[in-house]
Amino acid sequence: MGLVAGKKLFSIMALCAMIGLLLLPIAVSLPSLAMGADAPDAVKKDGEAKVEKGRDVYYKTEGIVVGAPAPKTVDGPRDYPRYNFESRVLLWFANQQHLYYGSFVLAVPIFCMVIEFMGVVTKDKTMAKRYDQLAHDFIKISLTAYSLTAVLGGILIFTFLTLYPAFFGYLSSIFRPVMHVYALMFVAESGTLYIYYYGWDKMTEGFLKWIHLSMSVVLNVIGTLLMFLANSWIGFMMSPAGVDEQGRYLGNIWHVIHTALWNPLNVHRILGNMAFGGGVVAAYAAYKFLASKTDEDRAHYDWMGYIAMALGVAFLIPLPFAGYWLMREVYAYRQQMGITLMGGLLAWLFIIQATMIGILFLSTNYYLWQALGRMRGAEKYQRYIKYLVFVLCCGYLVFITPHTIVMSPAELKAMGGQQHPVLGNYGVMSAKNGGINVIITTTILSFVWYMRGNKVSTVSWSKFGNIFMGVFFGCAYFNIIGLAVLGYYIPANVRVGLSVPQVATTLSCLFFMFALNSFMMKGAKQMGAIEWGKISARSQYALIMLATAFTWMMGLMGYIRSSVRLFWHVNEIMRDNSPWAYTHTVGFAANMISFNVLFFWVSILFVFWLGSLGIKKAPVEAKEGVLGGTPQPAGGH
Amino acid sequence: MGQTIVYVAVSLVICIAYFTAVDHFLMDSQD
Repeated sequence: MGLVAGKKLFSIMALCAMIGLLLLPIAVSLPSLAMGADAPDAVKKDGEAKVEKGRDVYYKTEGIVVGAPAPKTVDGPRDYPRYNFESRVLLWFANQQHLYYGSFVLAVPIFCMVIEFMGVVTKDKTMAKRYDQLAHDFIKISLTAYSLTAVLGGILIFTFLTLYPAFFGYLSSIFRPVMHVYALMFVAESGTLYIYYYGWDKMTEGFLKWIHLSMSVVLNVIGTLLMFLANSWIGFMMSPAGVDEQGRYLGNIWHVIHTALWNPLNVHRILGNMAFGGGVVAAYAAYKFLASKTDEDRAHYDWMGYIAMALGVAFLIPLPFAGYWLMREVYAYRQQMGITLMGGLLAWLFIIQATMIGILFLSTNYYLWQALGRMRGAEKYQRYIKYLVFVLCCGYLVFITPHTIVMSPAELKAMGGQQHPVLGNYGVMSAKNGGINVIITTTILSFVWYMRGNKVSTVSWSKFGNIFMGVFFGCAYFNIIGLAVLGYYIPANVRVGLSVPQVATTLSCLFFMFALNSFMMKGAKQMGAIEWGKISARSQYALIMLATAFTWMMGLMGYIRSSVRLFWHVNEIMRDNSPWAYTHTVGFAANMISFNVLFFWVSILFVFWLGSLGIKKAPVEAKEGVLGGTPQPAGGH
Repeated sequence: MGQTIVYVAVSLVICIAYFTAVDHFLMDSQD
């Protein structure tokens, strides 16, 4: 009894320590804010100097000038010291690697929180232990990656200081009020992570387990805040606010942080991190599955890969909508910036992006169809898969059709103009919105099939439920394609609004059909066991494909977002006068992205190998969920 | 067969009404 009370006391103290760490940055920053540390000397020494006011470039409000103007750099060793190599490429590499690892270690604790919660609420003891062990394995992997993230962050700062001192000096002067808050958040994150990990075996039952779960929530709050702060820097570089036209800080740090693109970036990045983290863990499980020698190991890693894939895809589905919102905000902020991205200098990179998005969804669908093979009773869906392939391919081909193609005069003449008389119609956004929504809706349909693969509904209204579901999907396809066609008949500035009902249609399928399916499958008759591990090797390569495509796409989109600033360090405020203030060719950029992807995967395989040295595995039976047996391991089972 | 036709008809009425309402509301909030 005394031991349990002692454990409780220890747990509550640990949780309080974490919350204290979380509040530490705010407490530290309060005195400086209260004392007006940002107030200029001109104000402090009343009357000694004239107060100068400036006008915020974005918010259009007046403020007292606090900072120095953005430096006007010149190409030379003072502003751009260099090795005998292109500085921008070195910075690109350091930045990209830090971002890959940063997003991985932010995503994995969120997975841990979800999986540990599933373990806590699952009534079946065996399943609870499996979930708990899986979450523990995940956090163990991320612990090694966390150290590497910090090392890469250090390398990134040294790269900035060494190669771009004028730019980094200016940026850190603008963000001075929150720079140490960011650093202290790392202290809070590290402390919380170590208490969370090392306290795992101490807090395994009842109230203590809930305390442990609360720690994962605190850990993720800190991680998310860290990411939001980092996003404010890139948001400021793309769409500066809180400064006047000379780049002088006007004393309102919230304006500097809360720029036009900050929130779209936050939403897009948090979803992207989750999908990326899911992909990486799924690829790890796929590799372990392929290397497994026993049925028990194959069952464990098949299950692990499925859970990671399901979590990743849950965030992949809304990701294109968040990306679309980000692009709409870019157009709203500066139309020219949007045109450079999607209709000008960087448009071909967007065609590559569309190709990669299509590959992500095709890989996901392929994995789900292969996964039907591990269920008895799912054979009934096999003959319909070819129709889904056809629909997916149609959506994909529309989605990747370019608007205009670089052609020789002879080719131009043969085609009858810049655009193909038929296929040219698919090169506009109206068609592409229809294409991607059809792809996502089909992915949702594949998920619904998978969720009911080995089950037969026993509710009295199952016939009506099945018919209603079929009609709902049919009407959804009709509505999405109808709105895409309608877009051809209305002006471009009106057409952009049609994307909203298209997205609402796709999301209606996601939420209503998942809900209807789970109601229909309550108490459903099971046709047989889900035989974990009984899945083709091809499905595991699909998971590896999913992760690699996502890694490549993250690198591509990071490059696009950075290069849209063209010759500005900070858009329209601080000019880039280095010899590398030009946009690379598509070929060079693609090679650089591929190198970054290769380096990340080689290094993370090393991290996985290190992490696997001490992993202990909970026993898993290859057959799970037999009639009257243990509950199924995920929402869909 | 008759029951199936009724079910399809009812489903169509519900779905068409729903998607029309969604389109109308979301386009109106932004002809």
